[in-house]
Amino acid sequence: MAPPAERFVTFEIDGREVSAPEGSMLVDAAKYGDVEIPVFCYEPKLGQPVGACRMCLVEIEGIPKLQTACSTAVKDGMVVVTTSDRVKSAQNAIVEFLLVNHPLDCPVCDKGGECPLQDISFGWGAGRSRFIEPKRHFKKPIELSPLVAIDRERCILCYRCVRFSQEIAEDYQLVFLDRADHTYVGTHDGRPYVGPFSGNIVELCPVGALTSTAYRFRARPWDIEGSGTICTLCPSQCNVELTVRDDNTVLRALARDNVDVDDGWLCDKGRFGYEVTSARERITEPMVRDAGALRPVSWELAMEEAVRGLDRAGERTAALVGGQATNEEGFLLQFLMRSVLGSPHVDSRRGGALDPEQALALARPDLSAAVADLDTAGAVLVVGTELVDEAPILDLRVRKAVRRRHVPLVVATSRPSSLDPNAAAVLRYAPGADEAVLGALVAQLVGGDGERAKTRAGRASLHEAAEQLGMRRPPADADWSKLAGASADDVREAAGALRGSGPIVVIWGERLSHGERGRQAVGALLALARALGLNTGDGSGMIEIPTGANGRGLREVGCLPNLGPGLAAVEPPGLTAPEIAGALGDSLASLILFQADPLRTHPDRAAWERGLDRAGFVLAFSDFITESVGRFADVVLPAESYAEKEGTVTHPDGRLQRVRQAIGRPGEVRAQTEVLLELITELSGAPFSAQPAQLTRLMTDTVPFYRGLTLDEIGGRGLRWQDTDAAGQLPQTPLPEMELEPPPEPPEGLRLGVAPSLWAAPETDHAASLRFLAPRQQAELSAEDAGRLGIGSGDEIEVAVNGTSVRARAALRTAVPPGSVFLIEGTNDENATALTNGASRAVEVRKA
Amino acid sequence: MALSELRLLKNINEPGLATIEVYEKLGGYRAMRKALLEMEPEEVLHELEGSGLRGRGGAGFSMGKKASFIPKGRMDKYLCCNADESEPGTFKDRLLMQKNPHLLIEGIVIGAVAADANKAFIYIRGEYELQAEILERAVAEAYDRGYLGDRILGSEHSLSLVVHPGAGAYICGEETGLLDSLEGKRGNPRLKPPFPANQGLYQGPTLINNVETLCNAPLIIEHGADWFKSVGTEKSAGSKVVSVSGDVRRPGNYEIELGMRAGDIVYGLAGGPPEGRRVKCWFPGGSSAPVLTEADLDLGYDFETMAEAGSMLGSGAIIVVDDSMPIVSLALRLAEFYRHESCGKCTPCREGTNWTVKMLERIDYGEATPADLDVMADVQTNIIGNCLCVLGDSMAMPIGSMIEKFRPEFEAHIEEARLRHGGLPLRAHGGRADEAVGSHAA
Repeated sequence: MAPPAERFVTFEIDGREVSAPEGSMLVDAAKYGDVEIPVFCYEPKLGQPVGACRMCLVEIEGIPKLQTACSTAVKDGMVVVTTSDRVKSAQNAIVEFLLVNHPLDCPVCDKGGECPLQDISFGWGAGRSRFIEPKRHFKKPIELSPLVAIDRERCILCYRCVRFSQEIAEDYQLVFLDRADHTYVGTHDGRPYVGPFSGNIVELCPVGALTSTAYRFRARPWDIEGSGTICTLCPSQCNVELTVRDDNTVLRALARDNVDVDDGWLCDKGRFGYEVTSARERITEPMVRDAGALRPVSWELAMEEAVRGLDRAGERTAALVGGQATNEEGFLLQFLMRSVLGSPHVDSRRGGALDPEQALALARPDLSAAVADLDTAGAVLVVGTELVDEAPILDLRVRKAVRRRHVPLVVATSRPSSLDPNAAAVLRYAPGADEAVLGALVAQLVGGDGERAKTRAGRASLHEAAEQLGMRRPPADADWSKLAGASADDVREAAGALRGSGPIVVIWGERLSHGERGRQAVGALLALARALGLNTGDGSGMIEIPTGANGRGLREVGCLPNLGPGLAAVEPPGLTAPEIAGALGDSLASLILFQADPLRTHPDRAAWERGLDRAGFVLAFSDFITESVGRFADVVLPAESYAEKEGTVTHPDGRLQRVRQAIGRPGEVRAQTEVLLELITELSGAPFSAQPAQLTRLMTDTVPFYRGLTLDEIGGRGLRWQDTDAAGQLPQTPLPEMELEPPPEPPEGLRLGVAPSLWAAPETDHAASLRFLAPRQQAELSAEDAGRLGIGSGDEIEVAVNGTSVRARAALRTAVPPGSVFLIEGTNDENATALTNGASRAVEVRKA
Repeated sequence: MALSELRLLKNINEPGLATIEVYEKLGGYRAMRKALLEMEPEEVLHELEGSGLRGRGGAGFSMGKKASFIPKGRMDKYLCCNADESEPGTFKDRLLMQKNPHLLIEGIVIGAVAADANKAFIYIRGEYELQAEILERAVAEAYDRGYLGDRILGSEHSLSLVVHPGAGAYICGEETGLLDSLEGKRGNPRLKPPFPANQGLYQGPTLINNVETLCNAPLIIEHGADWFKSVGTEKSAGSKVVSVSGDVRRPGNYEIELGMRAGDIVYGLAGGPPEGRRVKCWFPGGSSAPVLTEADLDLGYDFETMAEAGSMLGSGAIIVVDDSMPIVSLALRLAEFYRHESCGKCTPCREGTNWTVKMLERIDYGEATPADLDVMADVQTNIIGNCLCVLGDSMAMPIGSMIEKFRPEFEAHIEEARLRHGGLPLRAHGGRADEAVGSHAA
């Protein structure tokens, strides 16, 4: 839904008549008249103004005292003066006061040259200081966290970092301690400020008080250039500006504020993960396995080996595409597979097939919400995903909706979510019971408390109720909440919070479509979408959080075994990832790992170990020696990092965004699109070549609903394809409706769920700054189950099923419901994927 | 003139006044009954407004008018009694709470009726442990009698009352700092607007009144607005409890009629300075009021006259300073207090108070020149009116007034201190001055 149209009012500033949006603060309104009012503490992204720094004092006719322009809303006919002697003397005074205790060590300060305090001192200060007394001293710099250094002498106490911690990240760690001129910023308990978003305070700091440990003393503003691109380390796809030195090193990542994507925030993975681009252990030359070990070789030799291997396997080749691949890379790879090798076995998902009809339904523009819709939504449902780990920036966006607009939030997850405290209703269910919990919500929305279903008349009225919601039939009569392992009260409360509150945005995790009942789960999700009327109103819809950063784009350009470019059904369909694992060595002879590491990310690790071992030939595009690559690749082609790529990606909400090359490729690294084109040329015998822009064109021409999108249109802010004429090219199909039949009962015993972790990722391993965050495997379980099993918090335990076990440290969490146990997915060792296989499973937990 | 009959302090020395039995025997809670059972809330408000009662906490804003700002409608509305009596020299509320707690409780109920508040708090200064205990006891008694709680005396009005002690910060006496502290946050002043009347405690409409202000409410309801106005001046109606302290022979609380000659309070009631000394200056309204001189003792002690004289009546605390006190010591002591109590939130107060202290220390150590007085005066000007709340002004106004009125003494002190340190040129005699030059001169 578009925000309500702004009304403009006319006011006078410095003698000129200016129109500005009604209700805007004078600081912002003044900009409409090209008047700049200096500020330090004012930052609208942080919520209500605090008026602490007093830098923005202005004179308003009719008000005797000077007023803070950051907190005074413009009114019709207001007369504002910012240039009078009175205002100037106040501005001079505030600058002088701010510098009283500021060390003025600009020559050795990281902020020097890009410092608001310098700029404002120059622009609005008197240019002299009368303060000759000793300044205050603090020990400095000290670690606020391993990522952020704090220099308390430079701090001007503007409140920004504290407000970020309190009102944006809501980690409530940073506070002001002590008072008067002894006031300083610190954590309330004196422990390091560690959180997924801590780095934002560095960018918010208007002086050099908060600096990034990774960037400290690495460059001065005149040494560096900014290069805008997209962070592809997670599906949030935040807009970033990479700070580049000497054209070849990324030194920093800053937010490139895009309200439609990220609101100007970055998570710490996005902010510090750039270090992977220059990690020493990066693969920068091609390698070939020789006598069991990977050895560097020339490109010619490597390509020769690659072509020979693929040519020999031909249609018996399969490919896994990792989430960091761009649309162009995915498009070329599926073209190589389908059109050159004749193999449909290409998959970018980890958990099995996505039904073609459902894929089209999920892509429908009327069912898809934009990120910014969260700012106007009447209610939000988060189901089957932990945003802070899977798409952190959306976690902040949901928090914002709740904090600023008191939007009712429903959190439906099997694992306790960090959004629980913000939720109007929390719906906890058994791991793997996504289908049942969605069915329970539908049943509740259609039929109320379920009593109706018990009589014939009640059944008839249920049918009527379902019809009114546009459904052919109500969900089957069953105790849905019991099947979900959820409490009926929770289901009722959740449905109640969603009902009748205006446009609803549903954020759901791709994971729930995985596994053997994934199709039914998506069926239930679509039924819920219908019951909530998501397809009827403006501003409502769904956002799917894919497991790969560019999951949506890869799906749409054809990296699914049953769907080609533009979600066109492929007959006969190829094998899905789990099927590929099983078929390697049998019907499949070779495997391409395109920035994919199945041993780390894919369920059923044992099957992948077996499959990779039996594969005759494995070609890997990789930037690091991952476990899959190190143990099984025959040929390794060095992959570009996201800072070196040129292309596009598609945000979970359908926004195509441009990835721009920021630095030169290190060593022998070549553009992967170029390498793919060369493989296509070699294997097909027909010469193919294309410049990046032509490739994008080729890709958008092939995907009907991307057709006509140009790089210029996508530009720096991206463009949702749903908002273009091309959207009409998505095949129009009726919203599929599955009969909601009761799923099987969840297995008895302790059910295994996975905990996604932001930090269980290669970036944590290879970015030196982030290494301290690498998680050790832990098993979260309820105190009740732990007590029964004689397990204490911190105990070494084993989680086992069918003779396979994972070692973990026991973490007792009160919010975990009895009957569930959660392991982290994607850890370097003792990975949860050793135990998962796409089915709802019960596990045994014992002391190690 | 002295008050012919005491009002607030009428029964103050009655044994057992703090108990509900004695209080009621002396006519207590009659006004509350009248307000609850015989009057419409609008009439109560009207009576308070008509009495001309001005806030006794420092700002002197009309109590009735403030109550009338509370929006109508059904919602939680709050009344906070500001009992964080922290202004140096002020101890009148302590007396009222300690000796006559039920008068305050009765006033709170009446104030709540006028403002339609249903939840009330007494935010009491942390050091007032004894008074908090007495209040707690009195509140319990009032609950027992049904004077607090649901449907008081069978009327439509319900009111809960909680006594909440502060933790010792001066800034929590500032009304919005008080609200943050009461909410469990760091006690920092809030930006206004929104004003507490609209968005105060827990974002709800909130009326905040000083102890003495609320204690006047029962008297006004019982005797009427006209009776209240029968003493005092046109714009400063009623009586006032004045805390007189400093260099006087009989310090203490005195209830006076507003408009009484200041000299009669200082000399007549409080006995004036000790034998052989003269009044050098006096703070008419707590330590944050600009100082007045001996000549000003002829003025009438009321809100408007004090304002005209360039100072303020403030909390009604008269601090008398006699001629044995060096003005630099007085200024330094005062500045140190405000520097210590500055919350640190806004720039001019945080930096201005500590700078002022450092300058005064330099003057005292003999490391200053008369030119520093100009800088110091200018710093005070730069603080005044530019802060988030009035704490900065509370230092800058008296310090500014001292520099203005006692400049020759400051200059003499500078010279004398310099000589005391050997008459060496500034910055040459080691210690602090070297340090200042070596590492910090800008």
